[in-house]
Amino acid sequence: MDDRIRKLELTAARIRRNVLDICRQRGGYAAQGVALADIASVLYFDEMRADGNGWFHDRFVLSNGHDAIMTYGALAESGHYKMEDLRTINEDGGWVDQSPIEGQLGFEITAGSLGQGPSQSAGLAWALRHRGSDARVYCLFSDGELQEGNVWEGVMFAAHQKLSNLCYIVDNNDMQASGHASNVMNVEPVHDKFAAFGLHSIRISGTDIAELIDAFAQARSVTDKPSVLICDTRLWDGIDCLQEALPMAHYTAKTAVDWDAGLAEIGSVIAALEGVVG
Amino acid sequence: MTTLTQLEAADFINRSFKPLPRAYGDALVEAALGDQRIVTLCADLVPPTETDRFRDELPERFHNVGIAEANMIGLAGGMARSGEIPFCHSFCAFITKRVLDQITMQAAYPNLPVKIVGFLPGIATLLGVSHQAIEDIAIMRAVPNMAIFEPSGPEYHAAMVQLALEWDGPAYLRMKRPETTPTAFTPMPLEIGKGVVRREGTDITIISAGLCVHESLNAAELLSQKGIESRVIDMASIKPIDVDLIIESAIKTKAVITAENHSVIGGLGSAVAEVLMDEGIGIPFKRIGIQDQFCEGGTTPYLMRKFGIDADAITRAATAVIQRKKSK
Repeated sequence: MDDRIRKLELTAARIRRNVLDICRQRGGYAAQGVALADIASVLYFDEMRADGNGWFHDRFVLSNGHDAIMTYGALAESGHYKMEDLRTINEDGGWVDQSPIEGQLGFEITAGSLGQGPSQSAGLAWALRHRGSDARVYCLFSDGELQEGNVWEGVMFAAHQKLSNLCYIVDNNDMQASGHASNVMNVEPVHDKFAAFGLHSIRISGTDIAELIDAFAQARSVTDKPSVLICDTRLWDGIDCLQEALPMAHYTAKTAVDWDAGLAEIGSVIAALEGVVG
Repeated sequence: MTTLTQLEAADFINRSFKPLPRAYGDALVEAALGDQRIVTLCADLVPPTETDRFRDELPERFHNVGIAEANMIGLAGGMARSGEIPFCHSFCAFITKRVLDQITMQAAYPNLPVKIVGFLPGIATLLGVSHQAIEDIAIMRAVPNMAIFEPSGPEYHAAMVQLALEWDGPAYLRMKRPETTPTAFTPMPLEIGKGVVRREGTDITIISAGLCVHESLNAAELLSQKGIESRVIDMASIKPIDVDLIIESAIKTKAVITAENHSVIGGLGSAVAEVLMDEGIGIPFKRIGIQDQFCEGGTTPYLMRKFGIDADAITRAATAVIQRKKSK
């Protein structure tokens, strides 16, 4: 187990490095990508099952388009994307978009208009079950999206249909475009709200690999309702030297942080873990 | 006056981390200082919709409702029924398409003074199809009681607030925040139902709105070099539209093209065509706009070129229409 955890920690560190590498080109949602690296590591490299053809049997639906940076960072690590391609993000005429469209590898839906993933993933989970598939559906959305009524309509359907093959993941980072969610429009108590809607609700830090492995396993063991992992992430989680860098900034401008310092720090984390992992 | 903070500046539109002027936001605050009924609502996008100054200076009349556009329109409907004049803010794509039923039932049918203010018009965003509104004018034009106004530049932003207030009912403002500091300008007036003749010419009329007005004026210069003189109309009042000016221009120049940062289906071009057909005016005519397709993210000049709504595209269309006029 320890080796499994260390390997996933190493993968998470490499995802953080990839996120910084991509975002330093033209700016981006770097703080979210960094904070979601542990979730991405466990989800893509431990939890979701392979389909035997180089892709996944289980399905991942990204509801908030801007968190695509997490998927890019992870799928670069898995070899599905090349870093040299990802560094072209947001170039005019390029195909790597900050808010990706469906058809691009790793993106099931065209997100960006917020709060629409929970319904689409519930529909997908119902249809997979209806067709006798054992594939599980994972859907990531943010706490800011909980302000959209559409989210709760999807959640209600998922619970009503007892979609135990559906696992929602909430990036509960208390941050949205105009500031802290708790100041803009409070969404707490998130755990109680999902529980009241009939979901198996698990609240974790979202940045502890062992905790994430356990939470996903627990979600899998529930057979009569959908689950939700509420992850209390914070922007820049996992890179200490960037903690103070514009903690309010939802979007990180190219010139806003010391990318070299961030990369140096995560580089030493990677080196230390590489020394431990066989 | 509180200035835009660096942190707030760097999002969605202005990624320079430098404060930009906000002619619309300033005009809204000025209007609200003189009219206690004005309330501002915003669905999370405060700096990108220039409502940060209103938030800071008139907090008792400001609501950031969070990422909840449908709720925002409902709240505005309730406030308007009680005598307020709510200005609701988000991006064009979200504040029209996401909440059309709320707009029709909670603002348009009761004919309440709910002002719907969208930013990121048409294709003008890096964020791609989810944030692009290329069908919003078509949708909003079909809603009874709804007026639609679109400025061609920051000099008309203050007039947008005035037009919205003068229209005794729901209005949609299709706003474009400057991406860089605009050159100094004098605020320009507009009238409901009136187009502005921005350039005189007798060979062809180019009717345009929003971002395409500047492109049309540039096209007119290119055409002038070839001896074609264009009348360029800024149709900032898309609904109600200036029927008299369209007819007068069509009779005068005997050729009309339209140019808009919107689908060719249902927007300004369609509105002009409807006027011409209703009047039985059959003259060479062409609509420049997005050709019934979804677009992609990118810088605004790149997208305008790629999707054929820049000065070159307008020039080509005008030249072709002039040929048809000559061969008639």
